[in-house]
Amino acid sequence: MTNSSCSPVKPPSVTLRNPPSRNVTMLDARARAGLPSLQPPHARPAHAAHDCRETTMSTTTAPVDNGVNSDALLGARDALRESPAAAQFTWRATSEWVRGTHSKQTIDRFIGLGAEQQHKKAFVLEGDHPEVFASEDHAPTPVETVLAALAGCLTAGVAAVAQNRGIQLRSVTAVVEGDHDILGILGGDPEVRNGFNDVRVTFDIDADASKEDIAALVAQSQKRSAVFDALTNPTNVTVSVA
Amino acid sequence: MTVQRTDVVIIGAGHSGLAMSRRLTERSIDHVVLERGAVAHSWRAERWPGLRLLTPNWQTRLPGGGYQGDDPDGHLAAAEVAELLAHYARQIDAPVQQQTTVEQVRADGDGAYSIQSDQGGWNARSVVIASGANSVPHLPDCAAALPSTITQVTTRDYRGPTTLPEGGVLVVGAAATGAQLADELARAGRRVVLSVGEHVRLPRDYRGRDVFWWMDRSGVLDERFDEVDDIVRARHVPSPQLVGSAERRAVDLAALRELGVELVGRLGTVRDGVALFSGGLANTVRLADLKAERLLDRFDAWAAATEAPVDAAVDAPHRLEPTQVDPSPRLMLDLQKQGITTVIWATGFRPRYDWLDVPVLDAKGRVRHEGGVVDAPGLYLLGASLLRRRRSTYIDGAAQDSLELAEHLAAHLQSSPRESALAAGPALV
Ligand SMILES: Cc1cc2nc3c(=O)[nH]c(=O)nc-3n(C[C@H](O)[C@H](O)[C@H](O)COP(=O)(O)OP(=O)(O)OC[C@H]3O[C@@H](n4cnc5c(N)ncnc54)[C@H](O)[C@@H]3O)c2cc1C
Repeated sequence: MTNSSCSPVKPPSVTLRNPPSRNVTMLDARARAGLPSLQPPHARPAHAAHDCRETTMSTTTAPVDNGVNSDALLGARDALRESPAAAQFTWRATSEWVRGTHSKQTIDRFIGLGAEQQHKKAFVLEGDHPEVFASEDHAPTPVETVLAALAGCLTAGVAAVAQNRGIQLRSVTAVVEGDHDILGILGGDPEVRNGFNDVRVTFDIDADASKEDIAALVAQSQKRSAVFDALTNPTNVTVSVA
Repeated sequence: MTVQRTDVVIIGAGHSGLAMSRRLTERSIDHVVLERGAVAHSWRAERWPGLRLLTPNWQTRLPGGGYQGDDPDGHLAAAEVAELLAHYARQIDAPVQQQTTVEQVRADGDGAYSIQSDQGGWNARSVVIASGANSVPHLPDCAAALPSTITQVTTRDYRGPTTLPEGGVLVVGAAATGAQLADELARAGRRVVLSVGEHVRLPRDYRGRDVFWWMDRSGVLDERFDEVDDIVRARHVPSPQLVGSAERRAVDLAALRELGVELVGRLGTVRDGVALFSGGLANTVRLADLKAERLLDRFDAWAAATEAPVDAAVDAPHRLEPTQVDPSPRLMLDLQKQGITTVIWATGFRPRYDWLDVPVLDAKGRVRHEGGVVDAPGLYLLGASLLRRRRSTYIDGAAQDSLELAEHLAAHLQSSPRESALAAGPALV
């Protein structure tokens, strides 16, 4: 039964297109991935071939390099299981109104591994609305930033899972679309929700792997995606005035 | 109060404790099995009447016993399992002391354990925890947010469709139990909404053989705990969507959907009487399909490579139909408005160790062990998911697990003879 108009959360539908043999410069997955640098409290010996028994993977013997440090991530997983308090992270963005619908968000510090952490530099995002909303269009609409965040998270996941499964990636591109009935936010129709009605992600992946393995890669990256989870599951959000 | 002395105390007379008793008897090791109820208490008191094993009868193998009837491919009902285990206990002459609840186990300094029960105390050099992995129903926090007008039932307390109030039922959890109850309730004419999180799809039969035949023969069930990629995750894999039935019926999501069961995503929370579900259903279904395919690939690869003439005995390889789900499944369910009167929590169980006063539990309350050898000398665990191998999750795993752990246990008794205890004189406390 469909029940889209009043839904609190909408499923981003992630689909796959067949990899066309195109040549795209290999992107530095590490830079794109935005993975927190998880230094395992006690380093664990890097095992050359990670055990992928469960996943019947390609039998490539050439070393796979997607720019993801799988061993560090797996080591961190095991270490954090032992000391779960260190796994409690708090992400933070600060925001400042500029003028009109334009605002700037700064992302600099976060808490994790039991300590205050800092990015290599402060990153600034901006939000505004387009001219069709009678705004000045200095920056993306925040809902677009949400779509971008979903793509960033899923793509990081694809790279990490591919590394772990010994799949060499050549290119990973994605188009993310969110259907939005703006009568909701305008208060024009009480039946219409404010958020997305539907989110679609279409990946285009060129890799040394079968169609099935690529499908499995994308499915697994959704399973472990924080932003996918945040969009698909209810979350308590408290807004207060300091 | 008198304290009885023995070499080994086994806690629990389910199939695990009984199998261990048999192994100790084989080695002439003095022991007692303490059971809070009657033999096979969990099958008598904690399962619903319509339950049948999802494993075939031939696989209900126990050391020196097990299924011996004339329907190897059938599936025992819960009451029949209880009967089989009671018979087994007599057959192996297990020293079971029934109606005896263990209330405390602690290490007693000189390498022995002191066991307190409501029927007196024991002193033993070794303790085998066989008290069951499925003791306490595990409910998500949002259970507390359900309106009081909704009847909440755990799968331990569920006793069949007619025992529920009239109206629709939300079944939360789509492992074996959730899938079976959705099937049973839909067949009884109930409206059923099934909340589906991560799950395991398996076909009842593949290439003309029961899926457990494949898992048994191909070695899948023999995969050891120390060979598995991520043992914590592997131990938490839900049970497969299978049911034991004469007509070999399917209870996977496609079959349930055909019965009219409405599939929704994982239950996220309940707010103001409205259940909110994840929008990620399509992905969990896709993952389960992919995982099922990989398992079938593995069966095929084994069949093609094995020495035994297996290929001749089975049908040609084929693949499962991809599972279809509503592309926009319901994300909200207003329970009262939609006529849902009951929520069944098929969200799994946790073991209960509140009597275990030995520091062997991890932060999540799980016993720390290596293949059943617990992190305290002389303490053993039996009957847990993937304890030593995939087979351990099933009744069929107890035979080999108990054999290996009994060997370890015997070596422990040998290496730490009870000299000091003997010197201490008769144990009267
Ligand atoms: C619904 C369901 C269906 C299942 N279906 C199958 C299947 O089809 N095939 C299969 O192979 N496996 C199946 N299993 C898994 C498994 O085989 C069973 O859970 C089985 O009962 C486990 O046996 P056990 O001996 O380890 O524990 P249990 O059968 O739980 O026995 C433990 C015993 O310990 C006693 N006990 C507990 N605490 C104490 C205490 N403090 N003092 C004294 N005694 C105590 C209990 O009364 C109980 O008798 C199923 C499990 C469930 C829950």
